[in-house]
Amino acid sequence: MSGILDVFRRPDFFELLWQHILLSAAALLIAVAIALPVALAIRNTSLGAALAVNIGNIGRAVPSLAILALCQPFLGFGFDTALVALTALAIPPILINTSTGLREVRRDIIDAARGMGLSGSQVLSRIQLPIAAPVIFAGIRTSAVQVVASATLATFIGGGGLGELIVEGTQLNNTTILLAGSFSVAVLAILTEVGFGALEMAMTPKGLKIAQKRGR
Amino acid sequence: MANPALTLLQDLSSIEDPKLIEWDWISDNFWEDIVPAIQGHIFLSFVSVAIALMISLPTGVLVSRYRKAYPPVTFVTGLLYSIPSLALFGILISVPGITIGPTPVIIALVAYSLLILIRNTVAGLDAVPAETIDAARGMGLTNRQILFRVELPLALPVIVAGIRIATVTIIGIATIGAYIAGGGLGKMIFDGINRSFPTMIITGAVLATALAIIADLSLLGLERYLRPWARRRKT
Amino acid sequence: MKNRTKLIRAIPTLLATLALLALAGCGNVGSSSGSGPSAGDDSGGGGPTITVGSKNFTEQYVLGELYAQALDANGFNAETKLDLGSSAIADKALQNGQIDMYPEYTGTALVEIFKQMEQPDTPQATYQEAKKAYADRDPANTMLEPAPFNNTYGIFVRREVAEEYNLQTLADLAEASGDITFVCFSEFLKRPDGVPNMQKNYEGLKFGEVKIVNSIGGPIYQGVLQGEGDAGVGFTTDSQLASDELVVMEDQKNIWPFYYPAPVVRNNVLEENPKMEEVLNSVSESLDAEIMRQLNAQVDIEQEDPEDVAANYLEEKGLVD
Repeated sequence: MSGILDVFRRPDFFELLWQHILLSAAALLIAVAIALPVALAIRNTSLGAALAVNIGNIGRAVPSLAILALCQPFLGFGFDTALVALTALAIPPILINTSTGLREVRRDIIDAARGMGLSGSQVLSRIQLPIAAPVIFAGIRTSAVQVVASATLATFIGGGGLGELIVEGTQLNNTTILLAGSFSVAVLAILTEVGFGALEMAMTPKGLKIAQKRGR
Repeated sequence: MANPALTLLQDLSSIEDPKLIEWDWISDNFWEDIVPAIQGHIFLSFVSVAIALMISLPTGVLVSRYRKAYPPVTFVTGLLYSIPSLALFGILISVPGITIGPTPVIIALVAYSLLILIRNTVAGLDAVPAETIDAARGMGLTNRQILFRVELPLALPVIVAGIRIATVTIIGIATIGAYIAGGGLGKMIFDGINRSFPTMIITGAVLATALAIIADLSLLGLERYLRPWARRRKT
Repeated sequence: MKNRTKLIRAIPTLLATLALLALAGCGNVGSSSGSGPSAGDDSGGGGPTITVGSKNFTEQYVLGELYAQALDANGFNAETKLDLGSSAIADKALQNGQIDMYPEYTGTALVEIFKQMEQPDTPQATYQEAKKAYADRDPANTMLEPAPFNNTYGIFVRREVAEEYNLQTLADLAEASGDITFVCFSEFLKRPDGVPNMQKNYEGLKFGEVKIVNSIGGPIYQGVLQGEGDAGVGFTTDSQLASDELVVMEDQKNIWPFYYPAPVVRNNVLEENPKMEEVLNSVSESLDAEIMRQLNAQVDIEQEDPEDVAANYLEEKGLVD
């Protein structure tokens, strides 16, 4: 046990931890910046929605190792390459959830809003987005956890991150380093899940929370 | 940071040789290497899903009855799910008695899918209307008969939905198992990286994705077949 | 509804069948049905089964295949398990019987497996000490005669960088190291005979930046050639080292241990099959540095399969019928 703590005190541990967090956060932010506008733009066309869901599903099916590995021959190794790969991985859940979340908003609610005189964009911002918010956030949350997990693989293409500790431990047959690496990534992933879960709760509009509680 | 698009273009043009896909290599090695890899991968995935189901179905049924057990079960399986695959593999092979090879991979894959499978089993059973169960009871069916003839059949679509997600996840993570000598398509990917041989990477990646998509679509078909009322719903 | 009930009834039987298949098939995955360097060919040999392992980089694949196919052709039935991620993993597999033998480097055995820091002065001494260490453990192993070449580390620098800083030896590199980005894999950075060894012997060696890529061979060469790093580590029998674009740094202080590859076999397997020794030795004797480099080149540069490369070589040398 003390051995594991020693690993945490290594000078390179914080660098690896920081790399991991930076890689994940950047990938997630860029993915959101790409997926949200795209999903919004195509929300009204059924073709667009179908496409989003299908591309999203295919994206979900691609193993994370595959995307990281595929980027390497073309982009070389390193942080940037890993970033591109992880961003690509992060997009599908956000795309799917945003698209379906917006479309699931009941027609009668939208009609009522229109009837009240709200313009298209007002309907979007005041009605659709808030109602879809929990679903959208669930997508972002899924994406976040997935990215943090996949960032462990970045070490294979020189992207750094906590996966490096795991590989080092495996190569050197050093169980302490191995466990230290494994535990730190696990904790990071769990924190991400819990953190985003809390965020999701916070983002759910009050009215929806009450409705959810009432079981509607 | 230099303009990434520009760097990308520069990188692409400076790569002298790697031909994207050397079809010769694929045809030469198809039966020797590629097919066994696919077989190994299907084996890993199949066995893991099967074992996971054998654990999660009874657990799900039990937990839906004794709700007090549900939160701790969700907690444990959720914890397992959150541990990144490489990390879980690392932890497993540190356990004395567990050697590298398919065994730790299968253990990890089973562990990953428990959350979604149990969750969906419970959700599926929960969705069975109370009136239906009452009616069945009124007809004189025992609890056991109700479970097998009424509840489970009605819960099946949701359970299959869970199996679908679990299978796709498992197929994806099984690729990483190659790192601890688990076999499967991941080995092609890792070797391709080491040998700077894009063909191997692409072959492994495409086949793994295809496998996942085929599983996804087949199970989706099964799900739709089991849920005829959803088919008639206008979207 | 009836259909669905039947489906449910069938599930337990289905799962039970799958589970049985799984347990039966468990032994097969990863060993003989693994992808990459091929599975043991069950049609070869037909005698006692020997499981040949290897680590997972090109030279190891080739050596593994060479030994396995030679055994196959000489009355044995060789199965391969050529995907062991490191010396430590391979050794574990050897000691718990998952594999019967694998090719290990004399120096690596001393440093990695027996944690011996003091390096003998000659290749022969290195071999003798490794052999003794293997024989003294429990269960004991035999390290057979090594192949007559040294596959040691080659620290290389991109030509333009070498010219800019006038780098020809490791001492030069140490001086300029502050400006150099070094690319290597985790193990090399941490292993006592890797970077720490370099630092111990060449004062002032502290790289400006170290980039770790946990894939052996290809990406490291590619990275240095493409400018992601200035210097990298490779093995002297790597074909990529011969490139005009790279300059290998001379090691004038001879800091590296001697790494001669030799088959390491479990004693009980060797005792039951004494003929193995002769077969394996005949393969080892036929190799040298230049030949190894060519064989490696066929895999790494011409993208041929290690299995085919080994087969062709053995045929050429008349080591198989």
